[in-house]
Amino acid sequence: MIIELSLQLLLVILALLFIVLIGFMLYIFFQRQREVAFNKSRDLYLKDYSKLWYDYFFKNNEIFSVVLIPRGKPQVKAIEIIFSSYLKNITNEEITQKMKDFSNLYLKQFYEKDLMSKRWSIRMNALYRIAELQIDELLDACRKLEETNYSKEEFFQLLKIYSIFQPELFIQKIKVLNTHYAESEYRRLFVLLEEDVFIQFFEDFTSWPASIQFAVIDTAGAKRNMKYIDKLEQLLMNDNDEIKIRALKGLFEIGVIENIDPYIPFVTSDVWEVRLMIGKIFKYVPLAYTFPYLKQLLQDENWWVRNQAAKTIAEDRDGIEKLKEFITYSKDAYALEMAQEVITRKQGSR
Amino acid sequence: MVEVKLTKDIMQEQDVKKYFEMMLESVIRSRMTITTIFLKCVKNTSSEIDYSNVNTQLAYFLMENIRKTDLLFQLEDGEHWGIVFLQSSDVEANAFLQRIFKLLKQNRTIPNEVALKASITEIRNNDINFDALLEKNKELLADDHQPKWHIERIDDYRKQSNEHVKVSIIEQNAIFRKVLETTLNSMDIANFTFEVTAYEDGYSFLQTKSYQSGHLHLILMNDILPRNNGLEILHSLRSMPNEKKFIIYMMSERNSEVAALNAYEGGVDEFIVKPFNLRLLEAKIKRTFARYWL
Repeated sequence: MIIELSLQLLLVILALLFIVLIGFMLYIFFQRQREVAFNKSRDLYLKDYSKLWYDYFFKNNEIFSVVLIPRGKPQVKAIEIIFSSYLKNITNEEITQKMKDFSNLYLKQFYEKDLMSKRWSIRMNALYRIAELQIDELLDACRKLEETNYSKEEFFQLLKIYSIFQPELFIQKIKVLNTHYAESEYRRLFVLLEEDVFIQFFEDFTSWPASIQFAVIDTAGAKRNMKYIDKLEQLLMNDNDEIKIRALKGLFEIGVIENIDPYIPFVTSDVWEVRLMIGKIFKYVPLAYTFPYLKQLLQDENWWVRNQAAKTIAEDRDGIEKLKEFITYSKDAYALEMAQEVITRKQGSR
Repeated sequence: MVEVKLTKDIMQEQDVKKYFEMMLESVIRSRMTITTIFLKCVKNTSSEIDYSNVNTQLAYFLMENIRKTDLLFQLEDGEHWGIVFLQSSDVEANAFLQRIFKLLKQNRTIPNEVALKASITEIRNNDINFDALLEKNKELLADDHQPKWHIERIDDYRKQSNEHVKVSIIEQNAIFRKVLETTLNSMDIANFTFEVTAYEDGYSFLQTKSYQSGHLHLILMNDILPRNNGLEILHSLRSMPNEKKFIIYMMSERNSEVAALNAYEGGVDEFIVKPFNLRLLEAKIKRTFARYWL
C-alpha cells in the first residue's frame, strides 16, 4: 500500500516536472525564435539600408528616405551599429550633425523608454547612446533618472552626458560628488570638455580631491593645448611633489617652453623625478641656454637623471661635440661614463 | 649635292635608335616621362655662312650645355640634332631651350646670324617608334619660312595609358569596410583604374594570392585584425622581392607616436589615426598616385 502511494506520488512529481520542463523548453524556444526574428530583422535593415545611409551622409543634395526611420527595436539596433561604425572610424561634422538630428527625431522615444527599464543593462545602453549620438532632448529624462536608485556606473554616464550638453551642471555635480571615481575615469570625462569649461578646474585647484587634481593635470597635457601652459607652470609652485612632477610631465607633453626661468630652480630639486622631468623638458630649448643646467644634471647622483641629461644634450645638433668637450675637462667618473655611453649609442645609430 | 658633315664625338641616329626603344619600354614600366627636342638651324639664304662648319660648332656648343643625363645625337642628314631628356616633361625641355637660345645669342665664336628652331615631343606612352618620331619632327621643322628661335610642339604622345591598380581593403568592421569600398570605387584618378576588393581579416587576404601579381597594389588595412594582423601582413609584403609595387596605408585607433613610428619603420607609406576624415584619405591617395608621373 505504501509502495503504491509512493509510486503514485512519484508519477505525479514526474508529470509535474515534465510539464515544467515542457514549459521551460517552450519558453526557451519562443525566446530563441524572438531572438532569431530580431537578428533577422536587424540584419535585413543593415543589408538593405547601409548604402542609403552612406548616400545620405556623403552625397550632397541627397534626400532623406523615410524607409530609414526605425519601426522597432531591431531597426534601432541596426542604426546603432551603423552610427557607431561611422563615429568610431570617420570624423565629419556634417555627418555627426545629421546623426544628432536623426537621433533626436526618431530614436529619442526608444531611449526614453529604455531609461525607464528595470534592467540595468538596458538603461546603461540608453545612456551610452544618448551621449554618443548627442540626443540632447533627453537631458530632462536623464535628470529624472537621478531621482531613482541609480548605480555608480549610471551616474558616471550621466556626468558624461552633462559634460556634453550642460557643462555648468557637470561642474556643479562634480563639486558635490558623493561617489569617488578613479583618476582614469575622471580623465575620460575631462577629455570631452570644451576648453572654456575645462580651464575652470584650474581655478580653486586646491579645493578638488587629489584624483581630480591629477586627472586635470594629465588631461591638460594630453590635450596639448598651449593655453594650459600658464596654468601648469603655476602648479610648479605647489607644495605637493606629485603635482609638480605631473605638471612638468604635462608641460613636456605640450612641448613648448617659452621661458626657462620658472624651471631653473628645479634643477636642484630634492626629488629626483622632478630633476628628471627638467632634463626631459630642456629638450625643447636650444642647448645654448640649457647647457649649464644640463651639465649640472649630467653630474647628478641619480642614474636616470644623468642618462636623461646626456640624451637631451646629444639630441642637439652640437650636442655630441659638447659631450666630447665635457669628457675632456670633467672629473666626475659617473658623468664621464654616461657621456661616453650616450655618444657611442648615438654614433652607432647613425 | 650638299655634303653631309657629321660631327665626331656625337652619337649618331642609328646608335641612339636601340637605346630609344629601350627607354620607350621604361615609359610604361617605370612610369618615366621622356621628352625629346629636335633642333635645326634657321638658314639665312642671303648670308654667306658656311653652314657645314656652323653645324659642327653648334654640335660642340650643345655638347657643352646639356646635362649628363641628357642624350645628344645627330641625325643622318647632318642638319638636325636630337636630345632625349629622361624623367623630364616638356616644361623642363622648354626651359632648357630658352637657356640654350640665350647662351647661343651671347656666344661669340658662332656667327651672330646663326639661329635655331626646335620642336618638343613629350612622350608618356609607347605608341611611337624612333623612325616615326624622327619623321614627324623633321616634317615640323622643314618649313624654311619659320622664324628664328621658334618652338614647335608635338602633343600626340602625351596621353598616358591607363594603369590597372589593385586595391585591397582589410578591415574587420563590415559597415566601415563597405564605406571604404564605396569611396575607393568612386574615386577618379587620372590614368589609373582601381580594382577594389575587401577582406575582413588578414588571413583571407593572404589566402587569395592576389598580391602576387605584378600590378601596382594599394593596401588599406587596419593594424589590428583577426587572423594575421596588419603588422604581419606588412612584414609579409615588405619581404617580397617586388615589394615596391605596394603602397601600404595603415589605419589605427592608437593615436600614439610610438605606434606610428613602428608602422613607418615597418614600411607603411601612410599611418592614419582613426577616426579620420574620408576626404583627407582621398586626398592622400590622389597625391600618392600623382607622384607616379611627372
